[in-house]
Amino acid sequence: MLNAAVIIKLEPDFSEGNVSYNSDGTLNRAETKNILGPHSAIACNAAFYCKVKYGAHVSIGTMGPPIAESALKQAQMLSDAEELNLYSDRLFAGADTLATAEVLKNGIEKMFGGNKIDIVFSGHRASDGETGQTGPQTAWKLGYTFLGNVIDFDIDLDRKVVFAKRLISLQGMDTIIEEIESPLPVFITIDPSYRSIFNSISQRLSANTFSKEAKKHSEDYRQYLKIFDSKKLELDPKLVGLPGSPTIVYKVEKIPRAKTSRKAEIVIPSNPNNLTPVIEKIIQTVRGK
Amino acid sequence: MKLSNSTTQETNSNINEKYRHIYVIIEHFEGQVVPVSLEMLGEARRLMDDFNRKYDSTEKVVAVVLGSNVRKLCEELVTYGADSVIHANHEELKYPRNDIDTKVIVQIAKDARIIKEISPEYSSTFVRPRYMFFAADNIGRHLSSTVLAELESGLASDINKLVISDLDIRHEHKTKGQTVKYEKILEMYRPDFSGFLWTTILCLDNKNPENLREYHPQGCSIIPGAFKPFEKDNLRKGKIVEYSPKIDQDPKIKIINRRVVKRTIDYETSKVIVSFGRGIKASPEQNIKLVVEFAELLGAEIGITLPLSKKPYQLSQNMDSKYMIPDRVIGTSGSKVAPTLYVAIGLSGAVQHVAGMKDSEVVISINTDENSPIIDESDIFIKGRLEDVVPMLIDQIKKQIAAISLRSN
Repeated sequence: MLNAAVIIKLEPDFSEGNVSYNSDGTLNRAETKNILGPHSAIACNAAFYCKVKYGAHVSIGTMGPPIAESALKQAQMLSDAEELNLYSDRLFAGADTLATAEVLKNGIEKMFGGNKIDIVFSGHRASDGETGQTGPQTAWKLGYTFLGNVIDFDIDLDRKVVFAKRLISLQGMDTIIEEIESPLPVFITIDPSYRSIFNSISQRLSANTFSKEAKKHSEDYRQYLKIFDSKKLELDPKLVGLPGSPTIVYKVEKIPRAKTSRKAEIVIPSNPNNLTPVIEKIIQTVRGK
Repeated sequence: MKLSNSTTQETNSNINEKYRHIYVIIEHFEGQVVPVSLEMLGEARRLMDDFNRKYDSTEKVVAVVLGSNVRKLCEELVTYGADSVIHANHEELKYPRNDIDTKVIVQIAKDARIIKEISPEYSSTFVRPRYMFFAADNIGRHLSSTVLAELESGLASDINKLVISDLDIRHEHKTKGQTVKYEKILEMYRPDFSGFLWTTILCLDNKNPENLREYHPQGCSIIPGAFKPFEKDNLRKGKIVEYSPKIDQDPKIKIINRRVVKRTIDYETSKVIVSFGRGIKASPEQNIKLVVEFAELLGAEIGITLPLSKKPYQLSQNMDSKYMIPDRVIGTSGSKVAPTLYVAIGLSGAVQHVAGMKDSEVVISINTDENSPIIDESDIFIKGRLEDVVPMLIDQIKKQIAAISLRSN
């Protein structure tokens, strides 16, 4: 038996038609809808893979306001999770990544009736915060081995070992694919390029069955939903929210435009011939060097 | 009750401080320093020189290197601005592994004995580093997170500007609504996901009498390419401290294999880069096809803006996985490029994007809006819809190419 979990996040929906930008290019948060973040969705796919391939029990957790329920519902649709956990408390407001990790650690420890979770997935990074710190910090607090940028994995259930491929790309260096082995429990952040591949017919059949079930279950997701506040999570109020956050946002400002030495020549292509000098410039530049 | 004595003390606070120096966590690859490490050292050098002048102190830039017999690399770091290099030498440290590396860095950060060798004047009071820098890349992003989680201090990611200053802070929790002076605070600037906003993050001690707590080191991860390295000075002297780390008998993560994969996207050798942004939105699939056709005609590599990597459009799977990926993002949160020709199609020119392409030799942009910031970074600005302009360009270039080849025949 494998116990899997996914940590997800409700994020602004950056898809066209749903996202709204202010005239100065910044995000209009009030007008922008929120959804399950795209990287969280990929992490859900990884948990679903565990369910199909290893019959894993799947628990989902998220820290957020009550509306984050909608993300849990979407996550259930992707993963056919047995359990949805919302960690919600006004005391959590203003949390930085360390204080968030504190909540998630206790949340994961209380998943599935306190049964030990073998493998936790989270997304690469949130599309709004984009720090990518919460996953590894939660892993560290849990005492789980952290594996980042995982593009593929398999589990040996008998030996309780995970085999993973991870991507390492460093500035100016060739990309490395590293194959590693680690005993469970592990905490994995899934790389955006991850794709679940079901090789055998029986896997594909069971993936289909679980997918259909997932849809049905998620229509009735509240039945699977548990809400935890800081008391239920047995959290020390000094370690969460503002009191537990070493960092603060001091100020937010517009980034000044970079100084430029260019002066643009404006071309209005009302007549294709107006573009002739542009074409000459392009061909000259491309051929010249 | 007085909240903090730092309100009255200005310069005299030097003697008994527990937190000293900037520790820069160096990344290397098969004996070669990853450029961002030198960029971090350069910025640390500049900050520390100002710091020591301003506060009349002798704090150091300390490079921390984990590896197996990389002494030569440590010597090189001195020429790039490090005052001291701590060389944690162990065969288990040959390749980066989050669990072992975290433990070793934490050992080093808490080890006051090293300070005896680096700066004996501070060794009796030293508890931890004052600041810690990591690279905001596949290794450093996670390593910074776990190290700061273990040290239970604050971390800001993806920084591209740093300032050290004394600040009067009034905060609901940190100061319980009172104004309190904080000294030697690292202001950590990070561009947000839109590329238009800069958020300054501070890591501050709790000076709230109900929840007093110190948070050091002040940690950050730094965007590769954001800072300039220190000009190499072969005459610079520095101290290399050999460190024998305590390593677990049986490390959990075992590396079975490492292989190099060929880059599919190559911005470094591309003479021409064609990038597109949200201007494709009217019919994304068709417009990307147009851009691709245009790029192929020029033998160009294709780039995108950051918002497109967040998958805003429904596209065919092939198109989506080929183009709308973080690896193609040009800008501070992606690649920095400097081709001979950069063509910016339907993108507004957010600061974070411009920072990634402004060193291009010739810039041509296509945009409907003359007020878009991209105009300031363009040599030629074609005002129009990309749906109209790009086909005209394709058509004319094809004719020109045909004419040229006819002539050369």
